[in-house]
Amino acid sequence: MFSFSPDRSQYPQPGPDGKVEVDLETGKYLKLWHGPNHPGITGNMSVELTVCGDEVVEGKTHVGYLHRGFEKLMERRTFIQVFPIVCRVCVPEPDFNEYCYAAAVEELAGIEVPEMATWIRTLILEMGRFNSYMMAMGGISGALGLGVVGQWMTYTRDLMLDRFEELTGARIYHMFILPGGVRAHLPEGFEGRMEEVLSTAERYLADAEKLMFHSSVFKTRTQGVGYIDPALFERYGVTGPNARAGGVAKDVRKDSPYLVYDQLDFTVHTEEASDIYARTMVRFKDLHETIQLIRQILKKMPKEGPVMGNLPNVLHWKIPRGETYIKGESSRGEYGYYLVTDGTGYPRRINVRGPSYTHAMALLEHLISGTNISDVAALMVSLHTYPPEIER
Amino acid sequence: MSLRDVLSPFTAWKHVINDPVTIKDPFSREASDRYRGFHQNDMDKCIGCGSCEEICQNAAIDMVPVEGQNAGPGDSGLRPMIDYGRCCWCALCVDVCMTGSLTMSNEYTWVDSDPDAFRFVPGVDAKSWDLEPKGYQREDERRLTGTVRAPMGETCPEDRIGNFDEIVDGFTAEQAIIEADRCVECGLCVATCPAHMDIPDYISKVRDGDYEGGLQLLYETNPFSQACGRICTHKCETTCAAMHEGDAIAIRWLKRSITDSVPRERYFDLIQKPDVPETGQSVAIIGAGPAGLTTAYDLARKGHQVVVFEALDKPGGMMRYGIPEYRLPYHVLDHEISVIESMGVEIRCNMRVGQEISMDQLKTAYDAVVLSIGLHQGRSTRVPGSEKAEAAIDLLRRITAGEEVPVPEQVAVIGGGNVAMDIARSMARLQKIKHGKVGVTVTALEELDRFLADKEEIEEALEEGCDIFPARGPQEILVDGDTVTGLRTWKVDAIFDAEGRFAPKYDEDDEMVHPAGMVVEAIGQMADISLLGAELTEQLEWNRGRIMIDADGQTSEPWLWAAGDAVSGPDVIHAVADGHRVAVSISRMLTAKREALQ
Amino acid sequence: MSEANKEKLSGLTTVKEIMDTATSFEVVARDFYAALAPKVSKNIRWLVDELAEEEQGHVDLFTKLANDPKVSEAMAEKIQRPVADGKFSDCVQVPDLGENPDDQTVLQYALMRETAAMEQYTELATTAPEGPLKEAFTFLANEEAEHKEELEKIYYEIVHSGGV
Repeated sequence: MFSFSPDRSQYPQPGPDGKVEVDLETGKYLKLWHGPNHPGITGNMSVELTVCGDEVVEGKTHVGYLHRGFEKLMERRTFIQVFPIVCRVCVPEPDFNEYCYAAAVEELAGIEVPEMATWIRTLILEMGRFNSYMMAMGGISGALGLGVVGQWMTYTRDLMLDRFEELTGARIYHMFILPGGVRAHLPEGFEGRMEEVLSTAERYLADAEKLMFHSSVFKTRTQGVGYIDPALFERYGVTGPNARAGGVAKDVRKDSPYLVYDQLDFTVHTEEASDIYARTMVRFKDLHETIQLIRQILKKMPKEGPVMGNLPNVLHWKIPRGETYIKGESSRGEYGYYLVTDGTGYPRRINVRGPSYTHAMALLEHLISGTNISDVAALMVSLHTYPPEIER
Repeated sequence: MSLRDVLSPFTAWKHVINDPVTIKDPFSREASDRYRGFHQNDMDKCIGCGSCEEICQNAAIDMVPVEGQNAGPGDSGLRPMIDYGRCCWCALCVDVCMTGSLTMSNEYTWVDSDPDAFRFVPGVDAKSWDLEPKGYQREDERRLTGTVRAPMGETCPEDRIGNFDEIVDGFTAEQAIIEADRCVECGLCVATCPAHMDIPDYISKVRDGDYEGGLQLLYETNPFSQACGRICTHKCETTCAAMHEGDAIAIRWLKRSITDSVPRERYFDLIQKPDVPETGQSVAIIGAGPAGLTTAYDLARKGHQVVVFEALDKPGGMMRYGIPEYRLPYHVLDHEISVIESMGVEIRCNMRVGQEISMDQLKTAYDAVVLSIGLHQGRSTRVPGSEKAEAAIDLLRRITAGEEVPVPEQVAVIGGGNVAMDIARSMARLQKIKHGKVGVTVTALEELDRFLADKEEIEEALEEGCDIFPARGPQEILVDGDTVTGLRTWKVDAIFDAEGRFAPKYDEDDEMVHPAGMVVEAIGQMADISLLGAELTEQLEWNRGRIMIDADGQTSEPWLWAAGDAVSGPDVIHAVADGHRVAVSISRMLTAKREALQ
Repeated sequence: MSEANKEKLSGLTTVKEIMDTATSFEVVARDFYAALAPKVSKNIRWLVDELAEEEQGHVDLFTKLANDPKVSEAMAEKIQRPVADGKFSDCVQVPDLGENPDDQTVLQYALMRETAAMEQYTELATTAPEGPLKEAFTFLANEEAEHKEELEKIYYEIVHSGGV
């Protein structure tokens, strides 16, 4: 076994205010751009690192590469025209946008959603969570050089995309959860094909577990690294698995159940260590929970019934004055849509609350100081952030 | 760190013997059954309403004219052209499609070096996926625009049969908004309406609750909006995009909801004569029906002096003397005409041209004359005994005028059109009042589904206790001395031939005698042209029995125009359109005449 | 019983007789409509004019046939007398439609006439010997059938005016 204990006596020491005085003229420091095209970066963002040796003195997060101005675009779209846009706010787990937007519109416009649709919505959200966790598993492995897990996870995610394709008609941007319900029933034989995907996933996850949680390399590089003090959770708006890895058993699905979550049995998994290992472990357990949830939903859901409620004529749909905030538990934490309507045919304001916004910027900047350059990628991925939802 | 943690990663090696999971040839991979791929459009079903263009949030769809697709009733002739550089494959266009013509195939691969190739008109520009049955289609009916008509309240048959009170309640404000909401504003109705009323816009006024603005919009194209809101033949509703996969928008009732929602006295504030100088020119109009009064309304608003000569006691023409009060109350008509009179139109009733005043006198005294005399003579079957039959139109007029008409306990009506239903239902009411029960038999050549009467009329007649015998051809009106005793009919085996032409075939063995103390013929009407006199009749050019008019409504005589039922066939809204057309033509002539004098 | 009546009963006649009746049928009709035209009101004159024009066409056809040597040869041949012949022959008589008849009267008369003609020619077309005569009768049968249909449509449109 090797050990590594660098001599840090030459490294800059923080002053009384806790900050390091960085003077690039001294030649002691180097600016290093991490991203935007870096395999360890989750999507298009970059971190401007100031390093001293291989230690990160400070990191500044840079976003903006993905800014498409969706929130503003939505204000220029009718309520139905917003529907195809929202999914694009978050590429890897688009369905939360569809659900939150639809639910917000339904609440303000007073539209009843048939029971069948709420079950299919739940199913879709769990399928999306499955995909998102698969990406997270693959991502964290990849960031630590475990490329093979990344390939397995991508493969199983692809199988789930096949299920998405047959259910919704598209692989990535599903555009399936319309205000009022969902577009269609499950295709025939869907349950059987889904079961195949789930059991394949379980097999690969069993293998991945050996390569990750039972690997000395993985453990060495993740345990104790990227610790988030639970005391910071409130201040930095940390939610989801990032918080649960620090012992906070918060989950919107349990705390304020939406859709049919109150009719489903599932456990909210927590860890105590609040490091990269713990966060990955929470996701891993949650992924298994999602697999059993999908099975449960398919078993419990009604076999027939309408999937769409009554909509007014969407071509000149006006929604009375009002505002609402709809939230749900995405794979990264609390995801929400704040919708304000003013009685016209257009949303007055739509604000998307994506967990990545808090996790990937302020929190990352806080955590990154003092880490080793080689841990930056793993740290970022362990926060499981998606830049598109930062930049709506 | 345990030994297990060192060794277990090596278990990954077991995958070395697994087959690769990669798809070797992604181009031949078929997408799922409901995949949203390239569009298909069924040209037989597409009506070019443009709802797809309207809903597309990327502006990827343009409605364009295409070769071989001509505009016609209920079809704009335009077809969606899709720009795949903008399309985001959301399929809202498929969901909103009013006819279900637009679908998506599950084809998603297409390589081309010409970027313009990716902008095409599905269904017109042939593509390999045109006939692909798989792909995204709506699961059931369209769901993004309402399919069901808002309910309309009406008096139940038991309560309405004993009187002539108006049957239809009219929409409540809430119902009107629900119904107006369903309109997709495609404008196919505007093209169909003879008067080209601004239907989508006034429907949008209903949605906004702006009834006064709506009323002003109505009057721009129709001074008989109150009447048309009740009894219009609503051809617009036969080309409404919403009628595909659902009910057509109740355009007529929405019009009525505007006129009913504005207080009567407000009409005179909202509809005012424009501030134009008097021209000093005058026009005589013969017949105070919808055509004549629309002409009068338009011409008066242009500053001309207009006098309308009406043969009967009151103005309104067939709207008063043909249409029963339960469909169009007289007070509504009176109010409507008073608005027209407020433009300075003078209506002289009981002035039958040809008797009280001659055509020649009119020709001399006025700058122009408009003939809008309607179709006030009933046609007869001319079967034996038909000289003892009553003409429906004559009876209706007498009922309106308050004259005493004979009301036998049993009446037989010949005819399957709206006039037949009008007289059947009017006689049924009189019977109910006089005898306490209804005894009306309606016989018509046509099968019930080919009746020319509106469906509601037939349904309501049945509800009110009229017996309808479809496919019966009248053979004889049975007479005992001077008294009519019944109607003898044969079964009609076929009325139209394969090409839809009139060719009645009777089954002589299937004979019926419908007992009746009165037989009413309601098969058709003609214009009473006796007022023209032999000389003018001979001078005028004719077109297959009707006075020949040019595109402006002018006859072959330079001083005479003709409008309304007599030249365009029976229809109020057609008459209104005629009135506008003739007014424009006359006004142009008068202006030219004025300018020539200056 | 006269010879002619015997022949009538035997159901046989000559081509010549048929031709003569048909020719006079068409000539009488043409003359009748031509004479009627100026008498009717101008608004329905188009109808009578059209009818006269139609019949003129048929008269022309018969004139042409009479001059056809092949038809002349067949004149003496026996031919089955059509069942509708009686009604057809009656139409040779000029009807009395009264002074200034209206469109419905004219149409009713014309319809009756066309029906008789159609039945007559249809039957003749099947019994006539092969050749120009058969062709002519076939043509006429179709012509009259079409014309009858046209008249029926006009009748429906005029008399049942739009089903108001």
